[in-house]
Amino acid sequence: MTTAKTDEVVTEPTAPEAPSDQRERDRMRRRAARRRGGGWWPYLFLAPWFVGLFGLTIYPMLDSLYLSFTDFDLLSPAKWVGAQNYSRMFHDDPKFWGSVSVTTLYVVVSVPLKLALALAVAVLLNRPLRGLGFYRAAFYLPSLLGGAVAIAIMWRQLFGGDGLFNDFLGWFGIKGQDWISNPDTSVYTLILLAVWQFGTPMVIFLAGLKQLPQDVYEAAAIDGAGVLTRFFRITLPLLTPIVFFNVVLQIIGAFQTFTPAYVVSNGTGGPLDSTMLYSLYLYKKGFTDLEMGYASALAWVLFLVIAVFTAINFIASRYWVHYDD
Amino acid sequence: MGHQISRRTLFRTASGVAAATALGGTLSACGGGTGAGTTSDKLTMTWWGSDDRHKAYKKALKYFQEKNPKIKIEERYSGYDGFFDRFNTNVAGGSAPDLTQMDTALVAQYARKGVIAPIDEYVGKSLDLTGFSKTLLAAGTVDGKLYGVPSGIGVNQLTINRSGLEKLGLELPDREWTWADLKKIAVEVNKKSGGKMFGVDDGGGGTLQAFEVFAREKGQPFFAADGTKLGFTADTLQEWWEYWVGMRKDKACPGPEITSAAHNNLTKNGLVIGKTLITFDIGVYGAGGSITKETLDFLPSPQGDWSGAREGNFVNGGVLLSATKASKRIEDSVKIMNFFAQDKTAIKDMQLQRGIPPTEKARSIVAPDLTDIDKRNMEAADYISKRVAKASNALPAPTPPPKGADQIWDLLFQSNLAVAFGKKTIKAQLGEFFDQAEQILAK
Repeated sequence: MTTAKTDEVVTEPTAPEAPSDQRERDRMRRRAARRRGGGWWPYLFLAPWFVGLFGLTIYPMLDSLYLSFTDFDLLSPAKWVGAQNYSRMFHDDPKFWGSVSVTTLYVVVSVPLKLALALAVAVLLNRPLRGLGFYRAAFYLPSLLGGAVAIAIMWRQLFGGDGLFNDFLGWFGIKGQDWISNPDTSVYTLILLAVWQFGTPMVIFLAGLKQLPQDVYEAAAIDGAGVLTRFFRITLPLLTPIVFFNVVLQIIGAFQTFTPAYVVSNGTGGPLDSTMLYSLYLYKKGFTDLEMGYASALAWVLFLVIAVFTAINFIASRYWVHYDD
Repeated sequence: MGHQISRRTLFRTASGVAAATALGGTLSACGGGTGAGTTSDKLTMTWWGSDDRHKAYKKALKYFQEKNPKIKIEERYSGYDGFFDRFNTNVAGGSAPDLTQMDTALVAQYARKGVIAPIDEYVGKSLDLTGFSKTLLAAGTVDGKLYGVPSGIGVNQLTINRSGLEKLGLELPDREWTWADLKKIAVEVNKKSGGKMFGVDDGGGGTLQAFEVFAREKGQPFFAADGTKLGFTADTLQEWWEYWVGMRKDKACPGPEITSAAHNNLTKNGLVIGKTLITFDIGVYGAGGSITKETLDFLPSPQGDWSGAREGNFVNGGVLLSATKASKRIEDSVKIMNFFAQDKTAIKDMQLQRGIPPTEKARSIVAPDLTDIDKRNMEAADYISKRVAKASNALPAPTPPPKGADQIWDLLFQSNLAVAFGKKTIKAQLGEFFDQAEQILAK
């Protein structure tokens, strides 16, 4: 993602612009095609994309919907069992509820913290600052590395019993514990890892901040509004569309978190299932315990949960998101 | 452009598109698909292990291909983590390897699902199993048919940091030691090290070398012979957990943080990080002996010290080599199995990388080149297998574990950990353990 320099007039941030711009172009292209009467030509050029959409997304999705109603162990043919997988999940599987509560905690704590930090840093960086590009890159870097296995391994070392974090506490005479292998603290190390990767929403916030109209601020300054008043009365309301965008994306991403939990817990979700995030449980059911039918059902429940959350987000946004049309 | 896109439209669209894209991922990742089989004319062979094992396999297979220029082998190897996740995916996708190293713990479930092929018809013809004992072959035998050739003898040994003991002025315990002796020396370690070290790692959640042996000493197998039920009683497990509660209380073994950190992670094993001197994890030596610089030695799992205690140790088959049923090259795979079972060069190349060699002949071939630690390991294994063979009161060697066994072992580990962390009482955890175990086995 690129952000424009301060002196340029930025109309829209780049990321959200791309898809709708594309749509506009598609629409114009379709109109042009109709005029020329070249009916099937556009579809030929779109074919590679359709192959990907149907072959790699829609077909596997439908397949997994079918599998979610079967008993399928990957090795022998799937057997139809009706809604058994779904009823087992809700009535018969304490580990499912365990992973739901760990995941809920993870989402509810990590998303607000991450967004608050991202916004705070973005506000700090939104001023003529020498070496701004460097800071921006430095804060963004963890997000680029975030999905990487190497970072999760480093995290395991940092917060282990003999890790750097405890050495640091040792300077102040505090005797730390093994944060990763204690079931009461392990999930918070994952939350910390997520919060640390605040770069992506920060860059989006920064892009949004740069296009806020300056005249409002000048007027407010003349009226004697302080820094806090300006932030809460001007910046935040004007920025709500971008906050909304980030909230939607981060919630979806947090629900689907897999890699850090897998790596930090060595693929076990331990200790005592305290890092058994939903996606990790799903993976273990499917690929380790060979219950792919059940795993597919788990995936669909996750899909529905995320869809509901997203819908709630969109509905609620009517009441708090302020569009400056 | 004819009209201006409003910010409202823009952001709502953008949020919607982003949400849709992000969501699609999970579901499509779960869908199955039928992949094409391997098209090359190479025979695929997979295994897991340490670097040393990879090197040994590659060296031996190179020699095999020189002797059999018609068989070209594609080697795929990795560590144990995720090995069978990958194997499952390959089988499901129709690209299973022709020949694979197989875990004795999993052979029964793959045999019953028809993933691996019985090889009885080749025995005595292209597969020469002269010198393999019956108990050894039992490790690869499921429902009366042979599904894999054992690589060597596996016994229940505890790995001991002998030089560490000597530094504290303690001696290596006698091979005929009991669980009470283990506790005694472990407490000594903690005292003599000024509380810095613990004697042994927490075995309360361990199956191999640990609870399985203890239960057998009580005359109870881990799994009942037909594989659909647990073979031990709640009393036995309760007594076992109480023993470990006492061990933790007397600082004979470390607390649950260290136990949980070492789970599935050899580099955090108590013996490796210098926190304990005795470990149930056979992997510490299996990793090539290189993971710790201390002098290691080996002892059988302790014996029961109550009257009527039976021999609990047993001999199993190390790892197996199995051919997959869908393979068109089973005959060639059997040829490779035979090569590893009997060929002098192969045996020499593999050394103890897959356990103590299975036959008397093979053991004499590797003997001259063994390192000191290998010699100690082989000697200790020899001692146990002789004692087991002589014991009149030993249970038969365990049958290959049923489907879901690995989930039950994990359950045992997690249960002990929950008790150790003080999250559950033994009584409550016992009920939960048996409930969940029954549910797993019923599937």
